Amino acid sequence: MNANPITKYTWIGYTAARSNLAYVGEVISRAAFMAVILYIFMRLWTVVYAEAGASRLGGFTIQQMIWYLVLTESIMLSSPRVSMEIDEDVRTGRLSVQLLRPLSYALTRLAQTLGERIVRFAVNLFAGTAVVLILVGPIRPSLSGLIMFTFLLPVAFVVDFLGYFAIGLCAFWLESTAGLMIIYSRFTMLAGGMLMPLEVFPPRLQSIARRLPFSSMVYGPARLFVAGGTDVFRQTLIMQIAGLFLFGGIVLGLQRLAFKRIQNHGG
Amino acid sequence: MFRGVEIEHLKKDFLLTRWNGLRRNVSEVSAVADISLSISSGQSVAFIGPNGAGKSTTIKMLTGILHPTAGRVSVMGFIPWRDRRHLAYHIGAVFGQRSQLWYHLPPGDTFELLARVYNIRRSDFERTREALIERFALGPFLDVPVRKLSLGQRMRAEVAASLLHRPKVLFLDEPTIGLDVLARHELRGLIQEWNRQEGLTVFLTSHDAGDIEHVAERVVVINHGRIVLDDQIAALRCRYPGSTLEQIIARIYTSVNERGGPS
Repeated sequence: MNANPITKYTWIGYTAARSNLAYVGEVISRAAFMAVILYIFMRLWTVVYAEAGASRLGGFTIQQMIWYLVLTESIMLSSPRVSMEIDEDVRTGRLSVQLLRPLSYALTRLAQTLGERIVRFAVNLFAGTAVVLILVGPIRPSLSGLIMFTFLLPVAFVVDFLGYFAIGLCAFWLESTAGLMIIYSRFTMLAGGMLMPLEVFPPRLQSIARRLPFSSMVYGPARLFVAGGTDVFRQTLIMQIAGLFLFGGIVLGLQRLAFKRIQNHGG
Repeated sequence: MFRGVEIEHLKKDFLLTRWNGLRRNVSEVSAVADISLSISSGQSVAFIGPNGAGKSTTIKMLTGILHPTAGRVSVMGFIPWRDRRHLAYHIGAVFGQRSQLWYHLPPGDTFELLARVYNIRRSDFERTREALIERFALGPFLDVPVRKLSLGQRMRAEVAASLLHRPKVLFLDEPTIGLDVLARHELRGLIQEWNRQEGLTVFLTSHDAGDIEHVAERVVVINHGRIVLDDQIAALRCRYPGSTLEQIIARIYTSVNERGGPS
């Protein structure tokens, strides 16, 4: 059998993806939730465009806006409960079982998260695509935009994972990490551009959001899918690299301190 | 090089922080005070003691999860906390209250994953898996999701999963907790058989006298982080004739609490 460490983590991701598909009912309910959300947003944006009397807002047609939301919602709703899982590992002592394996804890969690997230994202995208094809019809994404999207989306997932992983590690010091998780996820939703593209934000807010890593996880990939653009690609890539260094650095520091604090939970 | 488990003057203190308003009080709690022990390869040892005696802390140091405050440990020639990932290839562990199987997938899928995790050669993996399926009678539920298995079936699969990479040392922490009489009896028999046939070193912690009686040949009792008794089970039976092992252990615990040493 292959001794390549990549095989180990790829297989962990593959197993996590299969595990996530085990409950067909949950997969269907996730897709149904996505369809409902998109229908509501479509109605809202239809009213906004009608009231503004504009065919474009922030450079987006109504079709592009709805497709943008398909992507941002698919990204956001595919986010696994990484920080809560780590929090639970720490509190219940399940971390001990993980540390008995010839594996890196962080890489194991990353592989599991990516495996789960790819499945969830694919299901959400499929459901969203089906709904908006019926409601607003297709758009024509550019080939270059699709390639840039495909390149940046996995990096966005890794940056987001690092953010949640860092929050999960705080369980070594905090009673509960739920508060931090909520703040982080709301920042990702709002500053990340989940509800609307950054082009629609007021100029000052737009300028701040573009300088935060959150936009590179949600807005960047979704914008590239819908409308392409090498400037957006460059900006997103720079912010993703910054996010990798920022969150990666925090994770490394926290993990080093946290593993020194591992305590015996008895039993 | 000594291939079993060797422990010399092992000690582990935890710092306990308490806040009294804005004042921070830090106190030191000794979980393991001083443990020295030598377990030769292939031996099965029950490591027992009352709750809070330091058993789990010791196991966590032996498996490299915890760093000791002082002392020396060698497991299969490895220093656990320094060589944790290398040591992991040579040890297995079963925690009765924690599962290593993927809950929504069949045990067979976890076995496939473990084969990759431990870099087991395909032919070796298939041979070991077949042997475990046969001995642990896993065939009927190998392809059934773990969530649909009974606790007895799950624990058989758990132990089999921990043996898949043919570890030389197996740590068992309350492996039969929650099992019914028949399932407990079956599991003990399987562990005992694997220990004898494969020369596996077994390090068992359990509050169940039946586990100790069936699986172990030697018993080490600890209390307040120190060894208070280390003897062969056969020798204990001679010392306390007419008593069951459970009664013997109860007497040892009582005398330890009353006088600080076994009678």
